[in-house]
Amino acid sequence: MNRKVLVRVVTPFVSIGLLLLVWQAVVVGFNVKPYVAPRPLVAIRAVSDNWAVLWPLVLEIIRETVFGFLGGALIGVFFGVIMSKVKFLQRIIYPQLILSQAVPVVAIAFPLTVILGFGSVKPIIAIVIWIVFFPVTVNVLDGLSHVDQDLLNLARVYGASRWRTFVQIEVPATVTPLFSGLKIGATYAITGAFIGELVSPPLGGTNLALYVEHANSNFDPASVYGVTLLMAAIGVTWFLLVAGAGVLATPWERRSVARRWRRRTIATPQGDH
Amino acid sequence: MTSTALLDLHAVEKTFGDKVVLAPTDLRVAEGSFVSIVGPSGCGKSTLFNIIAGLLQPDGGTVKIQGRDVVGATGHVGYMLQKDLLVPWRTVEDNITMAARLTRRVTAVDREEARQIAHRYGLGEFLDHYPKALSGGMRQRVAFMRTLVTHQQLLLLDEPFGALDAQTRLDMQRWLLDVWRESGRTVLFITHDVDESIFLSDRILVMSPRPGRVVADVENPLARPRDIDVLTDPTFVALKSRIMHLLHGGGR
Repeated sequence: MNRKVLVRVVTPFVSIGLLLLVWQAVVVGFNVKPYVAPRPLVAIRAVSDNWAVLWPLVLEIIRETVFGFLGGALIGVFFGVIMSKVKFLQRIIYPQLILSQAVPVVAIAFPLTVILGFGSVKPIIAIVIWIVFFPVTVNVLDGLSHVDQDLLNLARVYGASRWRTFVQIEVPATVTPLFSGLKIGATYAITGAFIGELVSPPLGGTNLALYVEHANSNFDPASVYGVTLLMAAIGVTWFLLVAGAGVLATPWERRSVARRWRRRTIATPQGDH
Repeated sequence: MTSTALLDLHAVEKTFGDKVVLAPTDLRVAEGSFVSIVGPSGCGKSTLFNIIAGLLQPDGGTVKIQGRDVVGATGHVGYMLQKDLLVPWRTVEDNITMAARLTRRVTAVDREEARQIAHRYGLGEFLDHYPKALSGGMRQRVAFMRTLVTHQQLLLLDEPFGALDAQTRLDMQRWLLDVWRESGRTVLFITHDVDESIFLSDRILVMSPRPGRVVADVENPLARPRDIDVLTDPTFVALKSRIMHLLHGGGR
């Protein structure tokens, strides 16, 4: 790894470390009482000390986040594609999708729980889908609407079918905007899972949101802040994974030459033609 | 015209609203010839191209390629614009085989042909490069190779070198003449540049706007093969003067 790459990798961690330092400085400097806000290390210790209780709950919220995100991504792409292909449907569906985002998620969460089953994981997934699909749809729709018309005409001149034009030109041209939408969705997903867990806790069981709620009512801000930090870390990690997938999916944006495995499948005699 | 007409347009016309973009036009292009169309913006030359390519339906007239009526039908010509329209997500090799990929499965034969043509015309080392790594002139060359491997006899080139600097443009014109001679294709070439049209073509059609129509069909007597010396040849200069007057009026 060369220096430049090292700097690029290290800088974000330094930046977040600085934020924790500021937090520490404010709590110590202004003599903030521990029941108002803990020091960052105390918050982190509140998590590590209770890890045995916490980790199944953490695993659960990660599952909800990931499955909800994947569902939201699929549905987002679906709406984006059908709205770009059928203008008539776009005029009908788009206003409804915008309306769905204007409704406060927390408000819609309660009826969703009633419809899909209180205590079930379904309303949680549904809420994650609800907030993830929209940025995906908007970006996919924009991407598909801005494919170069001259390029589409060229495909027509070649005699390309609509399907092949879609697969060979419109889809690859939309990969970059798709990942913009996915990255926005990735940061939202964990929030959706948390709201979902708040309104649909498992019957007779617990989850991470309830854990935070109990910690809060037991005057244990260290756990509240600690778990919040943990969820932020999950959100950031998921964002990084999605962003990383985006980088892998668009090698042409950072490379001049294709990687070996993408190249020819058959050896070529060089030069001597 | 002694050789067979590859392209035969008869009374082709197009109106947008109440604006006659293309007055009834006849045009015959002999197989293997190089014909240029010069004219100001709005003279209907791109409309004419789009009708021949099958992208636009004319209001009247017939378009025949190799005797077949192709009005409103695509898949009969090679087509290249000022924008190279290379897709950034494909390598040079895969951009060259684009037409195959858009119509059927790309075969080993297609790939081999793409590689050979790239080697032959000096881009063999760039087969695995993405287009963004190439200069403007190289990109236009790739775009032209992509047009060649469609195996269409008729190539429509709409100001393909319009965005290049003068130096690169002249290099590309010389290169195009070489490739054209070797490939035996028929070229219909749109340009704003009178020098370019004379340097390249056998015939120059001069068009004028309002309504768009062909006002002159000029035979080019300059011998082939041509190189940069012809640019200062008295015949060249005389021809240029004649075409300039046809375009801008005044005199003779």
